[in-house]
Amino acid sequence: MKELRHRFSSGFFITMALALLIFGSKNPPVVNGFRAGVADVFVPVLDMASRPFSVADGFLKWTQKLAIVFSENERLRAENSQLKRAQIKNSQLAIDNQRLKKLLNVGEGSVNTVAAARVVSDSGSPFFKSTLINRGTSDGVQKGQAVINEDGIVGRTITVGNSSSRVLLATDINSRIPVKLASSGINMILEGDNSPYPKLSFLPIGEKVAIGDLILTSGYGMVFPHDLPVGQVVEIGSESIKIKLSAKLYNLNYVSIVEYEITRSPVAVKKNIDLKKGGE
Amino acid sequence: MASVEVKAERGLRGTLPFISTLVLVLLMLLQYRLFFLDNIFPFLSLIGVYYWSIFKPHLIPVSLVFMLGVLQDILSGGPLGMTALLLILVRIFVVRQGSRFLEREFLFNWLVFIFVAVVFGLLNWIIASLYIREAQNLWNIFGQIMLTIAIFPGIAWGLSWVRYLLVKESR
Repeated sequence: MKELRHRFSSGFFITMALALLIFGSKNPPVVNGFRAGVADVFVPVLDMASRPFSVADGFLKWTQKLAIVFSENERLRAENSQLKRAQIKNSQLAIDNQRLKKLLNVGEGSVNTVAAARVVSDSGSPFFKSTLINRGTSDGVQKGQAVINEDGIVGRTITVGNSSSRVLLATDINSRIPVKLASSGINMILEGDNSPYPKLSFLPIGEKVAIGDLILTSGYGMVFPHDLPVGQVVEIGSESIKIKLSAKLYNLNYVSIVEYEITRSPVAVKKNIDLKKGGE
Repeated sequence: MASVEVKAERGLRGTLPFISTLVLVLLMLLQYRLFFLDNIFPFLSLIGVYYWSIFKPHLIPVSLVFMLGVLQDILSGGPLGMTALLLILVRIFVVRQGSRFLEREFLFNWLVFIFVAVVFGLLNWIIASLYIREAQNLWNIFGQIMLTIAIFPGIAWGLSWVRYLLVKESR
């Protein structure tokens, strides 16, 4: 009798696991809601558990910085005087740029930082690259927002709970981010492939990319603001061009969730509406 | 003697196998900030389920193994049900072998674990590849299996210490 009960119990839970695997693969809202709810409960635990690693990492970085403080000071002084000269030049260019944009009625993108969050977990799997952060809908975070850190892009939110969110990293196989070549402005797509080095796709025929070329976000897709650092070309193979991301996705501490929208001048919006009405 | 042992395993103390495996699940999800570990982190939850299925299977029933697997799937962002299914299969395999496991030495358990870890890793790779609809890098899973096998003695030693707490209380 006990053996029979045991077999029934095993069979029942195997069926349940298979049902979850098949039903959950389509990411229905019920499953996503359930995932977000459970994550909300466990994120504070993971947050507490991850703090010692964060402290240890901070201490290691601090000692590294301390070792090079004098040479770093000299380098920064030289860089500072260079930047001061560049600043004067840039402010003149910014005025020119603004004047020309007004003339052309170019839409300005506005970037709002929704929240700053702490990364509390890793996927622990080579096949699914995502991470949990300790901010959710109660902090204004929504699904599909860009996640960045001081080095560059990190990913975008895919599941949002009340006090936690899951971020799909730029290295995940399901990640697609519109990017451009900094030098020429050629638009491409950054495709994750679960390796630490995502690949570039949709490079126009005839266009060339060199190792070391800088990649920035293009702003298309309305998720990532334009001109954010993405990474550098590190490998040009026959089948793919590999990118080393600026942000170290294996060593994330704090990230920002940003919202990006294009705002046009009221005159331009009115003109667009008039044009549409005329067309009808 | 046996009834005293069972009595001691009731209540909160009896949850030690579940809690220790839960800790292993959570340890799998922390960020260790090491580049080389990112893609080959060992299957710690597999070690927990394997160990307790040998020594205290009645304290880690299929329902709890299912819960642990689902929790890992949720928190890792992987396919819901994948780890739950694989961990249940491991438990069934170990329990089916009966008490013969207990009669052998640690080295024998480790050798059986090598077989279990390889099958577990390959099934993990197959399900993940089917889920993503693209064959995934086999080297990553190979690295994960190797690291899991290598770390097994250390984790098993830690779990034997937890088991000692259970046995000590029953004396």
